[in-house]
Amino acid sequence: MWTSIQEAIFQAVGTSVGSMSFGERILYLIAEYGPSYVKGAGNTLLIALIATAIGCIIGLGVGVIQTIPVSKQDHLAKRIVVRFIQALLRIYVEVFRGTPMMIQAVFLYYGAAQLFNIYMSTMFAAYFVVSINTGAYMAETVRGGILSVDPGQTEGAKAIGMTHVQTMLWVILPQTLRNILPQIGNNLIINIKDTCVLSVISVVELFFVHKGVAGALYTYFESAAITMTIYLIMTLICAKLLRWWEKKMDGADNYDLATTDTLAHTTGMYDYPGKGSPYDERSKELGQRRHKKGGR
Amino acid sequence: MADTILQIRHLNKAFGNHEVLKDIDFTVEKGDVTSIIGASGSGKSTLLRCINLLETPTSGEVLYHGQNVLSPGFNAPAYRTHVGMVFQSFNLFNNMTVLENCMVGQLKVLKKSKEEAQAAAMNYLEKVGMAPYINAKPRQISGGQKQRVAIARALAMEPEVLLFDEPTSALDPEMVGEVLTVMQQLAKEGMTMLVVTHEMAFARDVSSRVVYMNQGVICEAGTPQQIFGDPQRQETKDFLSRFRNC
Repeated sequence: MWTSIQEAIFQAVGTSVGSMSFGERILYLIAEYGPSYVKGAGNTLLIALIATAIGCIIGLGVGVIQTIPVSKQDHLAKRIVVRFIQALLRIYVEVFRGTPMMIQAVFLYYGAAQLFNIYMSTMFAAYFVVSINTGAYMAETVRGGILSVDPGQTEGAKAIGMTHVQTMLWVILPQTLRNILPQIGNNLIINIKDTCVLSVISVVELFFVHKGVAGALYTYFESAAITMTIYLIMTLICAKLLRWWEKKMDGADNYDLATTDTLAHTTGMYDYPGKGSPYDERSKELGQRRHKKGGR
Repeated sequence: MADTILQIRHLNKAFGNHEVLKDIDFTVEKGDVTSIIGASGSGKSTLLRCINLLETPTSGEVLYHGQNVLSPGFNAPAYRTHVGMVFQSFNLFNNMTVLENCMVGQLKVLKKSKEEAQAAAMNYLEKVGMAPYINAKPRQISGGQKQRVAIARALAMEPEVLLFDEPTSALDPEMVGEVLTVMQQLAKEGMTMLVVTHEMAFARDVSSRVVYMNQGVICEAGTPQQIFGDPQRQETKDFLSRFRNC
């Protein structure tokens, strides 16, 4: 029955798609709508990349503020202000983590127009919605990342006189960033896929293009095959690039000696003439043993 | 008269109802090498952490050149640059190379120029014998090497006094020697040091003063000859008898 409907439409449109095989239809769609798919994929990637980047910055800011330690010794005013901001951010995280992005898009896009007379372009709305959504997720990730850094690192930094801000900036956050990089990658991939919900506010991304193409010729299966392949290629490339970035951040597995090591000889060699440590219990034993041997 | 750097007066520290330090009194003079010995849990490390303000004492005073570091509004970060600390678990910055570890404090806290900081860092890294490893990350070097870098990092801040919190306790036996050798060298050069340690030989042979702590109080203090040769208190005798063979 489905084939007969398709057939009827193809005839009405006046193309020869009806008589084509599956493969031919795919090629036909690519030839006919290729530029549209490319434009959709481009927008999808652009939204995902930019929104993930902005989301990370939002998340970093929120995560850092949420981990500011407040002790009883601090001024009352400071404690109240910090606690109030932390509570506000908590609400932000819970609201945007706890509602679907699709509804958020509709709510903000139409809400801004209706309540504040702000008419966003659909692309701006897309960046905005995905960014704050990612920010809410990243805030939790960053908080966890900061907590996962060994407290000894903070103590080490404090012991050489670093302030809280310096400790965060030079010691804790670089390590946090490395730790949460897999999660950032996860978010990027999720964002590439989830931008498809933005079609609800008519953002011209890949899924929106698919809907148009499939609807025009009733080639749902063929267009879905193309669209899925494009999504998969994008996510696989991103995953690969992120792995490479992770490796790069870890630095080399080996290192070059700047000069020759002179003290290393003492390691594990207590009876090394004149260089062993007198503070090791075993050194005396070894010395005696050698003495006995020599005496024999 | 010797120059008094640190003066601890009636220091108390409690975690909840558990009193860890009770009425601690002692002074650190310039050039002193003080070893604090005692059983685990006797409050040695807590005392050191209170001096460096990593823990906030419950009551009492810590005077640095006569100034109370516990008074409100005291600039703790600035104070800590004068009072260096070496930790049991090294606490080297994992995201930096050995050289960067020794430079970051000079650059960001002391605001030195890059060339100056690098020269100073190299000087101290050579002193601890770690100059060959400046390009290594902390995860790539051994425990003993890490601790030597940690000492160089603390020295690079040119502190007046260095606190050592069980610097060799987390090390394999064969690595203890290299760290103690470096510490002995520092002591010879006149560095003021306050060392919490379980290395009795070090306390006996290198330090100028030994403090024995037991259950949160200073049980006995004196020269190494007094403490190791002729301990007055029964607790000290009992504690040292376990190390008689050292």
